[in-house]
Order: sequence, then C-alpha cells, then structure tokens
Amino acid sequence: MPYEMKVDGMEEISEQLSRLEDRAPAVAAKALYEGAGIMMAEIKKGAESIRTAPFKYAANGQTRLPSPEEKDAVLSVGAGVAKFDKSGTEVNTSVGYSNTGYADVNGTRKPVPLIANAINSGTSFMPKQPFVRKAAKSGGTKAMQAMKDAIEAEFTAMTK
Amino acid sequence: MPEAYEALVAALKLTDIPFAEYGWKTRPQGTYGVVQLEMEAGSMDGNGEKLDRAWEGSIDVFFRLLSERDDVMETVEEILAEICGDSWTMNSLQYESSTGLFHVEWVFQVIGEHVPEPEDDDDAV
Repeated sequence: MPYEMKVDGMEEISEQLSRLEDRAPAVAAKALYEGAGIMMAEIKKGAESIRTAPFKYAANGQTRLPSPEEKDAVLSVGAGVAKFDKSGTEVNTSVGYSNTGYADVNGTRKPVPLIANAINSGTSFMPKQPFVRKAAKSGGTKAMQAMKDAIEAEFTAMTK
Repeated sequence: MPEAYEALVAALKLTDIPFAEYGWKTRPQGTYGVVQLEMEAGSMDGNGEKLDRAWEGSIDVFFRLLSERDDVMETVEEILAEICGDSWTMNSLQYESSTGLFHVEWVFQVIGEHVPEPEDDDDAV
C-alpha cells in the first residue's frame, strides 16, 4: 500500500511568493537607498583628501592647485542622489554633483558641478585629482554588499 | 612601476604629441598630453598575499582645433590597443571655455608584474 505524504503550509508560501513581485520595487528601493548612502560617504571621504594651495591665477602657462575655497564648496555642498527611477521591478539612481547649485568661490559665483568636474578630471591649468572615480572604485563592492544584505534581510522578514 | 605602464609611457613619448608624466609645471603651446598612474584597480589575492595587481591610470590630451581630434585619438588609441589590449576606455571629451582647449581623457588598466617568491625546499624529498 503506497504511503501518502502531505506537506502543509505550501499555499501560504506560494501566496507570499506571488505577493513578492508587487513588493520587489519597494525592497529594491530600500536597498538602493543604503547603497547610495555608502557611495555618498565614499565620495565625501575622497573630497576631504583633495590637495589645495592658496588661490592664484594660472598666468603665463603656469598650473595651480584647487584653492581651499573650491574644496570647501565641493565638501559643504556634497554629492547628491538623483530621484529614484522605477520601471517594473527595476530601480535606478545616480550619485554625483549634477544640479548641486552654486557657491561663492575666489570672488565669483560658480556652479559646484563645474568645480567638482574641474578637480575630478583636471583642466589644462589644474592637475586632476580623480576623487569621484576612486570612490566609485572602492565603494562599488561595499555598496553592492550592503544592498545584497538589505535585500536578504527584507526577504527573510517577509517570508517569516 | 608595472612594466606595461613603462612601455606605455615610452610609446607615448615617441609620438608627435609632447607627453609628461604627472602633469606639466609650465604648459607647452599647442597640443600636449599628460599620462599618470592613479590607483589600484583590483588584485588577485591568494594564499594570504597579493598575487597580481591591476593598476588604473589616465591619459589626458589637450588640443586647440577640433580638426586635430581624429589624429590625436588615432595616435593614442593605437598605442592603448597595442599595450593595454581591451582594458581601456575613452572617458570624456570636454571643452574648456576659458582657454579654448579641447580635452580628451582615456582611462586604462595595466597589470603589475608579479614576482613569484622562491619555493621552500623543506618539503622536498
């Protein structure tokens, strides 16, 4: 006589799994928020290490370092996080200096994104100090791990 | 310094574009370039030590006329393809309005030379 095996509670799990798709964007957004925070902290750490020198005009083909005012502008405004863009179960954002406003630097009002870009990728009269690229390199794996942990924590909380 | 990076610098210095490592103190007239090694891009770790290291650096070229762009890019990218293989990318093309210069930036990666440690002979039978 064949044995009958019965497992209870599968309906509950399947119901939970079917609900997962609806909740995935919220979970992803939560994880992305964690990741973006880590990237911002890394960029700030990089901005703190910018080398400076007192301001002078780079006349006669000379080069110059960023002035302390320019560093302050980049540091005080800080990198921003773009609005989360949700499409289906995908959530995207970007961290950087776009649309971070203006600052009074060396006697003129300058856009902070341009100052950050000039320091990050260098100009003909300023050696480059790629603090954003360095942050992306060193913070990428950290942010990814934090996002993975956040998703797993959320998932275990959901299926309990 | 990784050997591939030294080869890259030597090859760039043979071109028509005047190149300097880690920037110019006084900028030359006309087209000029800068090459530098910036950071560790990653490493292959094993046995509690770094077996191989990848380094990241960048090449910047400044020029005045947009018509020079194709020549500049062909010169640099041929050298990059020869020495770095596929591990390089053109990062940006910018225009400096205050000086009227164009600025192209490439980012490349090279592998540092791995010097293997001599094996222990204790286990030899």
